[in-house]
Amino acid sequence: MFSKEAEQKITGHSPRELAWRRFKSNKVAIPALVIAVLISLAVIVAPLIYSVLGIDPEARDLSALDERGEIVGDSGGISWKHPFGVVPGIGYDTLARMLFGARVSFLIALAATFVTVILGLFFGIMGGYFRGRIDGVIGRFTDFLLAFPQFFMILALSAPLVDRIQRSGIAHDNEARILYLILIFSVFGWPYLSRIIRSQVISIRERDFVMSARALGASNTRILLKEVLPNVWTPIIIFVSLSLPGYLSAEAVFSYLGIGVQPPMPTLGVIIADSTHYMMNDATYFFIPSLTLILLVLVFNLLGDALRDALDPKSET
Amino acid sequence: MLKGKKTLKVALAAIAATTLASGLLTGCSSGASAGTITYLTNQDAWTHADPQRNYTGRDIAWFGSYLNRTLTAYDRAPGAAGSAVVPDMATDTGRASNDNKTWEFTLRDGVTFEDGSAVTCEDIKYGVSRTFATDVITDGPTYAIGMLDIPTDPATGASTYKGPYSTDATNDVASFDKAITCSADHKTITFNLKRSVGDFNYTVTYLSFGPVPKAKDTGDQYDLSPVSTGPYKIKSYKAKDQMVLVRNDKWKADSDPLRAKRAFPDKIVVKFGVAAEVLDQTLLTDKNKTAVSLDALQPTNLTAVFDADGNPVKKYADRAINVYDPYVTYAAVNVKKLNCLPLRKAIYYAKDFKGLITLSGGQALAGDPADGAIKPLMGLDYAKTGLAEGDKDWKPEGNVEKAKALMDEAKTACPELYARATDPARGITYDTRDTEVAKKAAAIWIAALARVGITIKFNFIESGKYYAVVLDATKQGDLSAAGWAPDWANASTVIPELFTQEGGFPMSQNWDDPAYPAFKERVVANLSQADRKKQGAEWAALNQYAMDQQWIIPGVFSKTQEIWGSKIGGAFFWEPQGSLSFGDLYTK
Repeated sequence: MFSKEAEQKITGHSPRELAWRRFKSNKVAIPALVIAVLISLAVIVAPLIYSVLGIDPEARDLSALDERGEIVGDSGGISWKHPFGVVPGIGYDTLARMLFGARVSFLIALAATFVTVILGLFFGIMGGYFRGRIDGVIGRFTDFLLAFPQFFMILALSAPLVDRIQRSGIAHDNEARILYLILIFSVFGWPYLSRIIRSQVISIRERDFVMSARALGASNTRILLKEVLPNVWTPIIIFVSLSLPGYLSAEAVFSYLGIGVQPPMPTLGVIIADSTHYMMNDATYFFIPSLTLILLVLVFNLLGDALRDALDPKSET
Repeated sequence: MLKGKKTLKVALAAIAATTLASGLLTGCSSGASAGTITYLTNQDAWTHADPQRNYTGRDIAWFGSYLNRTLTAYDRAPGAAGSAVVPDMATDTGRASNDNKTWEFTLRDGVTFEDGSAVTCEDIKYGVSRTFATDVITDGPTYAIGMLDIPTDPATGASTYKGPYSTDATNDVASFDKAITCSADHKTITFNLKRSVGDFNYTVTYLSFGPVPKAKDTGDQYDLSPVSTGPYKIKSYKAKDQMVLVRNDKWKADSDPLRAKRAFPDKIVVKFGVAAEVLDQTLLTDKNKTAVSLDALQPTNLTAVFDADGNPVKKYADRAINVYDPYVTYAAVNVKKLNCLPLRKAIYYAKDFKGLITLSGGQALAGDPADGAIKPLMGLDYAKTGLAEGDKDWKPEGNVEKAKALMDEAKTACPELYARATDPARGITYDTRDTEVAKKAAAIWIAALARVGITIKFNFIESGKYYAVVLDATKQGDLSAAGWAPDWANASTVIPELFTQEGGFPMSQNWDDPAYPAFKERVVANLSQADRKKQGAEWAALNQYAMDQQWIIPGVFSKTQEIWGSKIGGAFFWEPQGSLSFGDLYTK
């Protein structure tokens, strides 16, 4: 008894260990992490899954449909050949379409998150570290962006901006639309991160280790890269884990509204938009993609929450 | 996908007559003169309410039933009987003379506008004159311009008469006054034509040959408030909202035997802008029992209503029909751009008919693979062209070997176009309406043509602007989705319209094709052919000619589905207009 207690008392814990401990103690964190990793893996190795299961996102299996394009058999044509069933009318394999679609959705969400983080980090650190006039200009600009009715801007700008991208020759058709979504998500997304980073940097720049570095004659660049940046990773990790599912569902919403990626290229949003027409006649095809998106967004959100609680227990954001 | 309009006879009779004749009979006897019929449509407004601008079968049927009387009209009967022409405002179906170049009609007594003033020959003449104002009165049929004996400008080919709004001193009013003359009692109208037209009394069934009171004409604004001559009049009409019709108390039943016994409902409401899925569900669940859909059922809902043979399932047995409509769908080929016969043939053989038809609900609901521009329902004018099911090389899912062989031929015959078609960065373009089904169809086209190395790129065009874009030669792509129906039961309203430069739907752009001059000569000769049988055989031969040149990639001889509420009686498919006979509907 004694010895055990003594042992515990003298054990030291690094912040990382503490965070992992808090993370583990969160009941939903581990299942969410497992599911998130599994889905991410499936999306990454999708081509491998196609060949193992013998499915193909472009192939149409008319033998799974009757003359009228109705699915043969019950429950959406789920079989060994088509684990998630087939798409009515056209005969695509639903699983293959969803994996392919999820790759596009993830590409958009990841790229948008990446650009958002870069922009948010840059402007947040600039504003927070240099203060004064630079902070004023950046601050007003973020206010300006945050005051924008984003949803309507995204709707309204869609046609002209996509057209502009196409005419400039950078990208065409769906590539142009993907680029548009990434751009617009990032442009409207970074002010949130920028504000968090700014407040973090304001407190860091006054800390002793920064003062010492400055006293030792370190340049601004060195202080920013070596002293400030390593201390803002926590809000970034939390931001990333929460904005990824946000962008995934935003992509679905805009695809549903007919903005963003257009069929025949699938994304999760495109598939869900299509499946709503079969709500009454082929409920399986409607429920599988919708529930998948719900699951996806849910696990990433839970994961984000758990990460935040673990890394930054006092934070309220 | 569809433009143009109407008609045909024979054959479909079998389907329409047997299932629906009973409806008509009870309709006439019950005479339930009460209630409200509610029409639902996804459209924001009527495409046109102006009689001179109305040009789709459904709209002509609707306006003709309720608001616009014409000199002659199609009989209101199911089956082939519906394609017979009967007198409407006129006392008979017209008297032809001078080798069918002069046609005379006499107005009945008691025909009035909604303000009670009598309809005169001058009103009809004024109505027809509006067609010539092509800058104001757009989108309507232009048969008046093509047929009336008015000179054309040799330089532009346009009529020297520019319509009633022109203030130009050179406007050839004198010629128009000679082309249509009125008797002293304002009752008899005479049309003088530039060529003999044996079925001109079919031509005047068009609302565009109907009366417009000059004092009420507001030019392009007349589209919003046309004056009625029928049993109903417009009480209110607001786009994106609704149109309400009430009884026209100045209409005299004894002047209108066609509609006298059929003016059933007290009120008619058209609701615009109903979301497609809401519309379908309203009718499928019978939520509004006196509702009638003006739109086609969405393909995704077809299978809930019809079984594998295309018959309505028990639940909808007496309130839904599936019949051949007058349309042929096809991909119009821009021959100027695709000036390479082996390549056009390769596209035809590579096309996945089966996949596209399955996507639209299967052969029983979507229709049969077409073998040309003329539908078998045309009787006299139809003959098998040896395409589609008549072609031993043709396969429903596409004949890849045959198409590949043709591509090899194209490689030497037209290397430049071959290089473009097979270049993934360029490829050939296909114009289509921006709809969900079209996007799935695009995937099928892309996959089908990829099998023979052709890259096809889709240009999705907003539905409302579709024909405005593709009928503009500067914007038209290599292929464009299209559909056409004969304007009446004569392929003179198909072959010349689709395949000659002067036609009303000249998307083929084929007049630089070496095969064109000989074709054109035969078309012109056949238009004046007096022997209807010979004329029909020649139309069939010319259809064959156009298919041999692959001036279109045929789609389907299409079918249409109509659905209405359980408290609606009298419904039957009105063949010549390709829609329900709206005027025969009543509330049970």
